[in-house]
Amino acid sequence: MNDRPAASRIPIIKIGTHLIVPIQVDMTDQMVNDLQINVLAAIERTGARGVLIDISVLEMVDSFIGRMLSGIARMASVMDAAVVIVGMQPAVAITLVELGLEMKGIDYALNIEDGMVLLDQRLQESEA
Amino acid sequence: MAQTGKAGKMSERTIKNLHQRLNQLEDVLASAAAMKLNVRLEVTEDDELASTEEAINVLLEDFSALLEERKRAEAELQERLQTIQRQQEAINELSTPVIKVWEGLLVLPIIGTLDSQRTQRMMESLLQQIVATGSKMAILDITGVPVVDTMVANHLIKTITAAGLMGAECILSGISPNIAQTIVHLGIDLTGIKTKSTMMEAMRYAIRANGQKIVNVARADQPRPQEAPADE
Amino acid sequence: MIVPDHEQVLDRLPLKAEIDIVYIRQLVRQRGKEHGMGLIDQTRITTAASEVLRNMYVYAKGGETTISLVSVKGRSGLLVTCRDQGPGIRDIQLALQDGYSTVNSLGSGLPGARRLVDCLELESEVGRGTTVQLLKYLP
Repeated sequence: MNDRPAASRIPIIKIGTHLIVPIQVDMTDQMVNDLQINVLAAIERTGARGVLIDISVLEMVDSFIGRMLSGIARMASVMDAAVVIVGMQPAVAITLVELGLEMKGIDYALNIEDGMVLLDQRLQESEA
Repeated sequence: MAQTGKAGKMSERTIKNLHQRLNQLEDVLASAAAMKLNVRLEVTEDDELASTEEAINVLLEDFSALLEERKRAEAELQERLQTIQRQQEAINELSTPVIKVWEGLLVLPIIGTLDSQRTQRMMESLLQQIVATGSKMAILDITGVPVVDTMVANHLIKTITAAGLMGAECILSGISPNIAQTIVHLGIDLTGIKTKSTMMEAMRYAIRANGQKIVNVARADQPRPQEAPADE
Repeated sequence: MIVPDHEQVLDRLPLKAEIDIVYIRQLVRQRGKEHGMGLIDQTRITTAASEVLRNMYVYAKGGETTISLVSVKGRSGLLVTCRDQGPGIRDIQLALQDGYSTVNSLGSGLPGARRLVDCLELESEVGRGTTVQLLKYLP
């Protein structure tokens, strides 16, 4: 994993108790798998309580990517972290609904700002 | 008719004249056949053939007029068709307006029957506006939708689900008792979708959900309301 | 299977490495765009193609994709054909069956792909290979 060129790694940025994952390239299946592993490792390493995945640049989400995102959400919840996906494009949203893909355990927000507010909310709720 | 030299025989000049006129006739008729109707025969003699020539000229005149009339009618029809097309487009635009009522709230009043094409357009329009305006909430009002069948319901559900994936919540309002009955009878599952019977209720919900409320503000020309005595 | 009245092959591409899935589906989108497809339809055909290409890579370890401009019953459309010489699909009905899910990982993604295009046809023989056709009409 560490010998992969930097350009093909999706960045994971820590902001407070949250992680931001901006997906800005059309991912190969290998990148998708690596991302899942890396995000979960980062949650464990940082003790993050929220993960914000920014897909505002993604023009396509197929079932493989959808499964990866669901996987992150499922495993993140086991590690007590909430997941929010932000910036889904209209064409992607429509296609996902038509694909019949159901991604459970994920929140959705319009943009990073709203997403961070949502993660803070989930954090408060879990500590209440 | 023709001048005869000897009894029964036509003079050479007459024959030549007849030839000429018959050729002219042929040319004019050929022209007419090719839809060039602005030709006419030159009638110089005054004999039986001349009356035929005049008759043909009248015929050509009539045909000319008819053709002009037809072209005019066709042009008018084209123009009307174009007007209808323009009006259709205008109706399409009007029929799926997405209105930003205030920060973060869109209203989509749906009026008329929903077919596949129209619903697709409406869905795209709403989702695009959600992104463009950054609105987290949208009210889809179906007061003006006469019939809600499974297809319409599915389209609405698809739109609302897609908006949800984008981070916007949709409220379905304007559900009459009739439509509510239909929805139940058809076994349409609206779980997870917020529904309100009227637009007003939907607006109230949206305002509350946004952490806001509407208050009455004292008017300048009215006395301030008496302060209630503080409880001890 | 779809038999066009007229077919103009735009691209013929081998699928050998995993990265080809990305490259080919991007080209599918581009061809759709070039021929007037709206953004949402572009996304639909691209997503459907991604599902089929992945199947081809995962189960057959590769194959060939053709992107063509076709005319079917007088309507013009984009046809994406994925041909492989892999193990073939034993139970085609099952593979195309809805509920043969896309989320719970055992799915082939085909039922979902079928919903995204105007026509999906599949031909397969165990031990010989599989051909999948995706047709999306152009505006």
